[in-house]
Amino acid sequence: MDISMVYIAAAIILGLGALATGIGFGLLGGKLLEATARQPEMANQLQVKAFIMAGLLDAVPMIGVGLSMYLIFVVAG
Amino acid sequence: MKSRQSRITYIPLARWLTIELTGLVILSLLWSLHSALAGYSAFIGGLIFIVPNAWFTRRVYRYEGARQMRLMVGNLFRAESTKIALTAVFFAAVFTLMEPVHVPALLFTFAVMVVTGGALRWLIRPQTRR
Repeated sequence: MDISMVYIAAAIILGLGALATGIGFGLLGGKLLEATARQPEMANQLQVKAFIMAGLLDAVPMIGVGLSMYLIFVVAG
Repeated sequence: MKSRQSRITYIPLARWLTIELTGLVILSLLWSLHSALAGYSAFIGGLIFIVPNAWFTRRVYRYEGARQMRLMVGNLFRAESTKIALTAVFFAAVFTLMEPVHVPALLFTFAVMVVTGGALRWLIRPQTRR
């Protein structure tokens, strides 16, 4: 197998994971600020919900990071 | 970080860590039935998730309340980037420095801990006091 294809695969996994996480966190943070501005008394409960959603949001990219490190350091290395 | 009494939200970090570490030890023991190397690799895989995630939790709850929401959102982005970077560095360190390593045990335990961690934060939520 061509080693460069492995690096490209790892780069695609990392890049798309980072892109999706960035979009997700941008939307999450924006909505959190917007909702807190509307109802400041709900800020703490909104923070808890945002924290839980952040944990769910980064689950798949985290596994992608693990897989891409495996591709870079074990398969290609 | 503020003292426990002065915080608006109680974060059950100790309870999360206890449950995650207990689950990790059970998973490692199950993998060690395959081989000692698999058990050791599974334990390392779980720690790669637990350490950055605990740091993320502490960092996110550094600021609380509506007045500090802007700082909190900034901290959320910084904490998430650092968490992913720490995970990548830990994986790179394990794959380059740890020889030999049982890769299926490492990656499987990591994936299980990621899913368990998300579910745990959903089931045992931080409690707001005010």
